Amino acid sequence: MVRMYGVTKVYPGDVVALDDVYLTVEKGDFVFIVGQSGAGKSTLLSLIYRGTVPTRGQVFVDGRNIVRLRRREVPLLRRKIGAIYQDFKLLPDRTVYDNVAFALEVIEAPPKDISRKVSQALEMVGLSGKATCLPDQLSGGEQQRVAIARAVVNDPLILVADEPTGNLDPETSNGIMALLSDVNCRGTTVIMATHNQAIVDRMRRRVVEIEAGRIVRDERQGTYCHEA
Amino acid sequence: MRLRTIATLTSQAVRNLKRPTCMTTTVVVMACMLALSLFTLVAVNLTVIGRQLQAGVELRVFLLPDAGPDAVASLERSIRAIPGVSRISYVPKDEALRRLEAQLGDENGLFIEDMPYNPLPDSFDVSVRRADEAESIARRIQELEGVEDIVYGREMVRNLVGALRVMWAATGAIAVVVLVGASMVVANTIKLSVLAHNREIETMRLVGASDAFILFPFVVEGLLIGVIGAAVASLMVFAAYSLLIRWIGSAAPFLKLVADPAWLASAALSLVGFGAVVGLSGTIISVRRHLRVDVQDV
Repeated sequence: MVRMYGVTKVYPGDVVALDDVYLTVEKGDFVFIVGQSGAGKSTLLSLIYRGTVPTRGQVFVDGRNIVRLRRREVPLLRRKIGAIYQDFKLLPDRTVYDNVAFALEVIEAPPKDISRKVSQALEMVGLSGKATCLPDQLSGGEQQRVAIARAVVNDPLILVADEPTGNLDPETSNGIMALLSDVNCRGTTVIMATHNQAIVDRMRRRVVEIEAGRIVRDERQGTYCHEA
Repeated sequence: MRLRTIATLTSQAVRNLKRPTCMTTTVVVMACMLALSLFTLVAVNLTVIGRQLQAGVELRVFLLPDAGPDAVASLERSIRAIPGVSRISYVPKDEALRRLEAQLGDENGLFIEDMPYNPLPDSFDVSVRRADEAESIARRIQELEGVEDIVYGREMVRNLVGALRVMWAATGAIAVVVLVGASMVVANTIKLSVLAHNREIETMRLVGASDAFILFPFVVEGLLIGVIGAAVASLMVFAAYSLLIRWIGSAAPFLKLVADPAWLASAALSLVGFGAVVGLSGTIISVRRHLRVDVQDV
């Protein structure tokens, strides 16, 4: 589903975010990307939805080399990828329903489909009863669930999550992870950057550790820290 | 893009227009268009009046006393062949004397009766199509054989042509200033609009909205600012101009202002078109600077 070959990313000022990274993520995988702040986790995720392009190397998503995408093809790639963030990135002046529907409206989905898919997505995240609320009227966990509903409403092939539990308490984080597992069970590949050791250790999924821009560990059913 | 989407995005752009910055910009665009349309009207009317005056520019070509009928006929053919000459008529010296008598009136006419012979020469009255060509035509006629002298309102022609040139140059300069100045104001407003919708734009990009989808509301917003500003300005100017035409018609009927309804309608439409260009230019400037970010910025 995602393949990276010799990917290096250098930001202006010679800041090396990623250095000669090789990574393969198969369809249906659930991968944790772990590492210290500034290790290159967010850059790696950003390469997948072409939020940035590598300085060197190639990135393939769903069999397509996305480094060579033309500008007008980038939105088509992003429609295959759902993304969630630590700060939720919800539109504060729109209701829960409208926030989720927004992802379908911008790709000009038929109104009939929008209504059906948004209802399904809100039901999946357990927020059917709060469809008319504004984001400010929700807790952090609920807001992140809205973000998940928006990310999955378009049935993406890949879900990219950048520290989705970063602002949430442990119990709420567990609820969010249960949702992401559910999304993964439905066939969506999930790639999640996190600092949350408890979650990684409990779920025992694939763990890729990055240190100073290089992959230093890639374990099936791994833990947050390397087990000797 | 689907019609439903276009309607949704257009209504979003219309909602944006209600923001105070948009209102202010529309008023600024309107003021610029007022200035431009006033200058255009003055320039057009001066040109029309100038053309009427130009049509009246006439050269009086005096012939040498010994020119015979053949020479006169040949000279007439030569003058008629000069480009820019619209009309030529031969004035024999007897006719010239009669005209002089008529000009001097009954009292001074006695003086002419006392003259032993007619001192006036034969002449041609030559009309030219454009006043600014009068000087060069006069030079060419002067070179012809049999011509003694040429008289015409040289200074008047020069002043008239100069004034019209200055007027049109000023109108052109104002058009450029309006285009650049108003476009910059519109650009600034669209920039504020882009910043106000920054979060929305970021989300749009992440969920796969096309560039056209993201840009459309801003393009419509800029276009509407330009068109509304120009339309209001043209309504005001042409309402005032209609009153002026009516007033001039009774107060100074010898002044013929441009009043052709078809011309006025096309001028109003041109002004609205110019407003659209101003609005679009501003949007393009702003969008290029603030919205067309590269992939690294997403």
